[in-house]
Amino acid sequence: MLVLTRKADESITIGNRITVTVLGIRGGQVRIGIDAPRDLPVNRTEIVETIARENLEAARSPMDLDDLNETLSTGIKPKTT
Amino acid sequence: MTAMMHIQTTRFGELELEEGRLIQFPEGMIGFPDDKAFVLLEHRPGSPFMWLQSTETPELAFVIVNPLLIRSDYLESLPPQERELVTGKKGQVPLLFAVVTIPSGDPRKMTVNLLGPVVIDVQAKTGRQVILANSGYRTQHPVLQEESSPSSQNGAQ
Repeated sequence: MLVLTRKADESITIGNRITVTVLGIRGGQVRIGIDAPRDLPVNRTEIVETIARENLEAARSPMDLDDLNETLSTGIKPKTT
Repeated sequence: MTAMMHIQTTRFGELELEEGRLIQFPEGMIGFPDDKAFVLLEHRPGSPFMWLQSTETPELAFVIVNPLLIRSDYLESLPPQERELVTGKKGQVPLLFAVVTIPSGDPRKMTVNLLGPVVIDVQAKTGRQVILANSGYRTQHPVLQEESSPSSQNGAQ
């Protein structure tokens, strides 16, 4: 990992299109501003990891869903109304 | 002549499909950045469920479902900037899916990930998983509600 030291109001630039600015430091918290193209998702890492974990779980779903079929289609229908 | 491709899958064996059915995921699915191409497979005629099968990793496949079948107000309750992520620009109508997690041995406890839906642009044949960080949705939304659920629409509370 590249490590840089920055003060409040200083920033770093990643590539040509992403700038990360330290807006303020108070107590144990750092406020960070991110300028990035709109099509580039910016998220807290925890939420990305939560979804990655859920995807991993989902990818382990059982191979044979045959017995689910009827339960599912009948289970879902009432809630679409 | 339509060009055909062969893909290997753990669940469905070897499949022969039209190349036009390939959907590119430039960023992969979250946590699976290396698999960049998938196909949509019907689970079974009439089933609300489909499979998102990797064409590169035979064992990688997700069960997916239209989230509007789980929550008919799924889109309305999104903040505007997040709604735009899943409904696309004007004129485009992307396909929208939520990934289903089915615990082995207890399928009735299945959940859907409403926080990280999969958006597929049908014309461009590209897909991505988006994160609706401000939506209030969870990764484990129950599919089959308990009969006595207090959150059902007719609840008096």
